[in-house]
Amino acid sequence: MSAVQARPLARNELIVVPYRRVSTAAMATNVVLILLGLFFLLPMLWMIFASIDSNPDWAIKIPSPTFANFADVLGRADAISSFRSSLILAGTTTLLTTVLSLLTAYPLSRMHIPFKRSFMLVILFAAGLPVSMLVVPVYQMYVYLGWLDSLYTTALFLAASSLPFAIWLMKNFIDAVPVELEQAAAIDGASTFRILREVVLPLTVPGIAVTAIYTFINAWGAFIIPFVLTYSPENQPGPVEIYNFMGSHGLFKFGDLAVFSLLFSVPVIVLYLFMSRYFSGAFNFGGAVK
Amino acid sequence: MLTGIRFEGVYKLFGAETAVEDLNLAVNAGEFLVLVGPSGCGKTTTLRMLAGLERPSYGRILIGDKLVNNVSPRFRDVAMVFQSYALYPHMKVYDNLAFGMRARGASKDVVAKRVKETADVLGLGHLLKRRPSELSGGQRQRVALGRALIRQPQVFLMDEPLSNLDAGLRVQMRAELSRLHQRFRVTTIYVTHDQVEAMTMGDRIAVMDSGRLQQVDAPETLYDNPVNKFVAGFIGSPRMNFVKGRLGSSGGMTSVSFLGITTPLESGAELTAADGEVTVGIRPEDLMWRRSAGADCTLTLEADVDVVEPMGHEAYVTAICKGETVTSRFPPRSGVRTQERVELALNPARLHLFDAQSGNTIMQRPVAAGVDTLRSVGEARTDDATGGRPDRQGQQEARRVPSRSEEIS
Repeated sequence: MSAVQARPLARNELIVVPYRRVSTAAMATNVVLILLGLFFLLPMLWMIFASIDSNPDWAIKIPSPTFANFADVLGRADAISSFRSSLILAGTTTLLTTVLSLLTAYPLSRMHIPFKRSFMLVILFAAGLPVSMLVVPVYQMYVYLGWLDSLYTTALFLAASSLPFAIWLMKNFIDAVPVELEQAAAIDGASTFRILREVVLPLTVPGIAVTAIYTFINAWGAFIIPFVLTYSPENQPGPVEIYNFMGSHGLFKFGDLAVFSLLFSVPVIVLYLFMSRYFSGAFNFGGAVK
Repeated sequence: MLTGIRFEGVYKLFGAETAVEDLNLAVNAGEFLVLVGPSGCGKTTTLRMLAGLERPSYGRILIGDKLVNNVSPRFRDVAMVFQSYALYPHMKVYDNLAFGMRARGASKDVVAKRVKETADVLGLGHLLKRRPSELSGGQRQRVALGRALIRQPQVFLMDEPLSNLDAGLRVQMRAELSRLHQRFRVTTIYVTHDQVEAMTMGDRIAVMDSGRLQQVDAPETLYDNPVNKFVAGFIGSPRMNFVKGRLGSSGGMTSVSFLGITTPLESGAELTAADGEVTVGIRPEDLMWRRSAGADCTLTLEADVDVVEPMGHEAYVTAICKGETVTSRFPPRSGVRTQERVELALNPARLHLFDAQSGNTIMQRPVAAGVDTLRSVGEARTDDATGGRPDRQGQQEARRVPSRSEEIS
């Protein structure tokens, strides 16, 4: 008989896990990452502290709590209207971009199109172009067309500038749907419309969601385009409004600025949390092919 | 209602590549035809053309009497089992099975009834609420099969449906597929690169190589009378031995010399070439150990053992004979060791002769009783020089010759 025998653990008994040695390299990596994280966390920390501080300034300090800043911001008509503007701007941009990129990406993924590769490279190049480069000619074009100071025409340009990347993103998602599923459905007797509705679309949902959320977040934070293409106060979206907080209102109100920034970040944070579900591979094609 | 299939002069070109070349093949109604060949031989392309997933570059494809070249897959009334299964991952097994019937506008009750019947046939009853990702390989394979079965199509197409299964399951599903075919008698074209599947399942086997149909015949005929070296080497395991030989004549009879021996050819054999270089084919199962060989093995060869592969019920011995490597079949536990000199015995009636250049069979042997046509009942083009376009005669004949399944009924 062996001397050591397994015995059931007593109820409150601790299991001692042997100390795991951490290598110097791993330690160094972690320290660097923590420092970097802190570096990016500090502005956010300032934002949170300043938003509830009765007397905020540039520095991060322990706040003397108050909700006066919140009351102040929520009482301002321009703050509320900028949320409305941002919502219209980002919503319209997202809708346009998602629908158009889906319609473009599907044939690019599935069909034999002459010069497809060159076309995709042009799209990739376009996705890398800085939009601010185009601001001056676009402004002149908008003046000529009489499109200035409208949220919808501004959304049109935002959509156009976000399309290239959205098409790439969407195409990759559609590429991942095995084409055999469509062929199987066709042999099963399904019409093209039924195949798209019942096979392709449900399997592309993660791609559509990611593209939509990504586009929304970008449009939500867009500054330079709406700053140039809109001017009346009721059409100014959030990022432009933040800029206004910082100068044109005379006295610098750190508390209001922090509160507005905080409120403006909420939708983005919520969407990121939502999106991470798709990025973490919650959905896959398990069992579809081999 | 049974439907036959015809390919008439079908070509498929992908750019400069010729995937399928001048395919002429008639599949009888209710037949189980196995399309076999090495990777890239055009068998899957042939199947996909029949399904409507690829358009033939030239030629005609007929299902029944209907020309289907320009008919979209949805109106061809064929069902296909994909190698990868291609199950809809977002649907439950029930919906996977029901999809085709719903697409064809069947009522809810009918769909439910048919799904239940099909699930019972395939033993899927308890899995209907699962998604494909929650199934094992064998279960997925059954669902893929069920999705084809449920529709009661005119034609079944199967593209290496068993290649993703482990060995045991493959044997089991092979039997099951044969049983299903016995039961439903739907014209089936089954693509595989596994010659065991081909031999065991097919009423007839069509062998393809480099886009060309080599031979279409019943499994036994294919084995006994391959039209060329390729078919001879592809069908049969272990592979047929090929050694250099030379035709000559002795005492008024044609004889062949190979591996240092000379033997007159059987009088029943019909020779299509007079003399010169030939390739002699000997199946390993026809090359035996002298001590265990029967009386009809009148030829004896001396060889040095190179490798002994015991299989349990028998052993394959690879030996060197006059500089050529030959594989032979030994009884189990023969005690033969590497580098030992052994005597091999051979029945001269079991020799195959091929033209050394073209690889075509130059000796047709009388066929065993029960098979009344010497050459293929379908037809195969073997050689450009002799071939030209095969006549339609063979195809007419093909429809008169009953397939094995019909004989059984």
